[in-house]
Amino acid sequence: MRWHKRLLAAGAVAVVALTSACGGGKVRGAEDSPQAGTSQSAADATFTYVPNLDVVTDWDPASSYSNEIIAMENVYESLTRYNPQTKKAEPRLATSWTSSPDGKEWTFTLRPGVQFHTGKPLDAAAAKASIERTIKVGQGAAYIWGAVDTIEAKDATTLVIKLKYPTALDLVASAGYASYIYDTTAATGDLGKWFNEGHDAGSGPYTIDSWQKGQETELTLKKFDGYWGGWSGQHYSKIAFRVTPELTTAWQLLQRGEVSFVQRLNSQLFQQASGTANVQTSQTPSFQNLLALFNTESGPLKDVRLRQAIQKSIDYDGLVAALKGAGVQASGLVPDGLLGFTPGQAPKQDLPGAEALLKEAGYGPGGKPLDLTLTYAQGDSDQEVLVTLLTSALDKLNVKLTAKPLQWTTQWDQGKSKDTAKRQDIFVMYWYPDYADAYSWFVNVFRSADPISFNLSYMKNDAIDKEIDSLPELTAIDKPGAEKAYADLQSKIIGEQAAVAVPYVQNYQRAFAKSVQGYADNPAYPNVVFVYDLKPGA
Amino acid sequence: MLRYLTRRLGQAILVVAGVVILTFVIMRLVPGDPAVAYAGPRASPAELAAARARFGLDDSLPVQLWNYVRDLLGGDWGTSLHTRRPVRDDLFQAFPASLELVGAALVVAIVVGIPLGVAAARYKGKFPDLSIRVSSMLAVSVPVFWLALALQTLFASGLGWFPVAGEYDANLDQTSPLHVYTNITAVDALFTGNWPILGSTLAHLVLPALVIAAYPAGVIAQMTRAALIEESSRDHARLERALGFGETSVLTRFALRPALNPVLSLIALVFAYSIVNGFLVEAVFNWPGLGRYAADSIRSLDTPAIAGVTLLVAILYVVANLAVDLVQGVIDPRVRSR
Repeated sequence: MRWHKRLLAAGAVAVVALTSACGGGKVRGAEDSPQAGTSQSAADATFTYVPNLDVVTDWDPASSYSNEIIAMENVYESLTRYNPQTKKAEPRLATSWTSSPDGKEWTFTLRPGVQFHTGKPLDAAAAKASIERTIKVGQGAAYIWGAVDTIEAKDATTLVIKLKYPTALDLVASAGYASYIYDTTAATGDLGKWFNEGHDAGSGPYTIDSWQKGQETELTLKKFDGYWGGWSGQHYSKIAFRVTPELTTAWQLLQRGEVSFVQRLNSQLFQQASGTANVQTSQTPSFQNLLALFNTESGPLKDVRLRQAIQKSIDYDGLVAALKGAGVQASGLVPDGLLGFTPGQAPKQDLPGAEALLKEAGYGPGGKPLDLTLTYAQGDSDQEVLVTLLTSALDKLNVKLTAKPLQWTTQWDQGKSKDTAKRQDIFVMYWYPDYADAYSWFVNVFRSADPISFNLSYMKNDAIDKEIDSLPELTAIDKPGAEKAYADLQSKIIGEQAAVAVPYVQNYQRAFAKSVQGYADNPAYPNVVFVYDLKPGA
Repeated sequence: MLRYLTRRLGQAILVVAGVVILTFVIMRLVPGDPAVAYAGPRASPAELAAARARFGLDDSLPVQLWNYVRDLLGGDWGTSLHTRRPVRDDLFQAFPASLELVGAALVVAIVVGIPLGVAAARYKGKFPDLSIRVSSMLAVSVPVFWLALALQTLFASGLGWFPVAGEYDANLDQTSPLHVYTNITAVDALFTGNWPILGSTLAHLVLPALVIAAYPAGVIAQMTRAALIEESSRDHARLERALGFGETSVLTRFALRPALNPVLSLIALVFAYSIVNGFLVEAVFNWPGLGRYAADSIRSLDTPAIAGVTLLVAILYVVANLAVDLVQGVIDPRVRSR
């Protein structure tokens, strides 16, 4: 054998040996898949969802707090589900609920006859164990149960939850994260480890079929025969999640009918999808808005007149037009569909007003030059549009804006810096609530905080803090009072304090196959498709 | 030869050690808190502190470096912050898919590049030579991302001749589950007789492999041409011509074998280059290889995963270089004494 043949043979052996160590004789695909060569039943309709990012980071329903929500909401259920049209929680595992007049005791009546995928019954004791474990694990969005004092399973279908302070627990129980009810007895050992091996213990219509991290089709779910809703009528029996980071590729897959639903397309592709025969599109305002938070504590923007001038410099209409449907005009801090939304408050660009305010503070055309820094999310083309328009508008007003695109870890780190000189003047970020309650914006972003976490306008105002603290109780027992408090707070934070500008609310732009029937976006559950509610068409 | 081998191995180890230290330092110089990547964008201060403690991010830099090197030597490449799995496991899963794609591309590149090089040398200065040189120049210079999108739009989406994306039809996981031994799907399907998955994988391989093959095919064609022209001007070629052998025979029967030695060395280096060059192609064709893993890691500032990919690529380059050095040492004893 010549040297190069020996080398070739050695190389081949090395590659096979190396990669054999990687594989190890596992079977790729569903555990109970039919044998090679057998075919699927014609009745098996599969809904293929195309996300842009990996699906599952954490399978534990207690701590899950990431993109896996798109799968979890089809596998697990919570006590209630939020309806953005009625702005109320609706029955899910709980068929009804009541609260005491002071909003501190909530009684949920559970749906009878519900079974976990493990075969065990889902009763009040199981629900109690589930919520208690989530609180104990204390990760992800577990803080949503912070008000809970005691939980009691009065009988098989009655769950009584007593709170330390009044809270709208029906909304808490509808959260997209940490509200799942699951079988805490599913594994004998470490339950978290068992979940993260790719097992589930939910009660939802679908259960895990196969999970292959890193593969293109990362996850498939199959129908749970014992689902309480039953399987009569037309339903998809499987869900496949086909991870496709490249938007053009996702669009081509949809166009060719290889997938059912694309989570996100850019504006150009979305326009194209709107005019394609075998594709339908939907556009729904989300609960996620963009915030431009002004540094109220240090730097030039400490002067409220300058903050108001920046607010007036933003070309809100031009921005929404440039986004081509990816965003809608905001009206206040709270997006439409949530308690606290204040219609008729959409801001307008007012350059003469901005110039007057700058002049009053000694800046503007003919005055002192003003240098400002802004940080925003790297790679976010929508935020880039805002930055471009704002830079151009401020330039005319003798204000130089230096905008830095940064990764979130860097942007947040800089914003939280204890050295105020290192902080930016304007911090641009999205905010969305973990459950359908506008309180999230106020308590996280505008309540005084030390150390700084998300209060990146660095606002410290005792009167505003006090009003924010009253929101949970009002939401639980006095909704009109809560509406009024939200309106008042928004007027103070955006108007008087000028701590923030809200350039737009993000729109969900979905494209999906014509054959998918009954799809409606629910902004309380970002990117989730409740596949059981859909009908597979021809 | 042993001394030569030891010297080259020692140099290779030094290079890898340098890459490890450099990667670590760069990882730590990047602004931002890696704990956020693990604990999530909305992590509480307590969760961030727990993540920092878990990954030893509060230790001094030398201590962190020592721990990193010690863990690497023990086979622990760290935990990915975005997949939350051991980086080594993630790489073991992603690398075979890249190897499959680049392997197929290199087969295409060799099968196409060498005959083109021979043809160009045979018709030196004439139209075939000119057109092959222009084509190979184009193949080398065209951006892979653009070529990937162009071929995908034309042959997959437009004409429907090939699948748009993926490694194989995922529905086959239900009807023809694959027994995985090497994690190289085509190899596993071939050895286990899983013809549906083999057929599907080969169909899915065509377009991305062609795109990745463009650069090495161009380089191989040019190198083969140059080596053949040089070889065919030597004394032995003149003798062969004098003995009545035609130009094609001189090139293919006598000049090609010695001319292939530098080409073989080139292929080893091009292999390592193609692994990295293929990252963008993997993204376009949704190929579940290192490219997607690297892109996700960069997007989430997953420093252990980025370091893992960097180290793996560095090792590939070093191994490829080492192989070239050894091959040259075997062929030409003069090299060993340099």
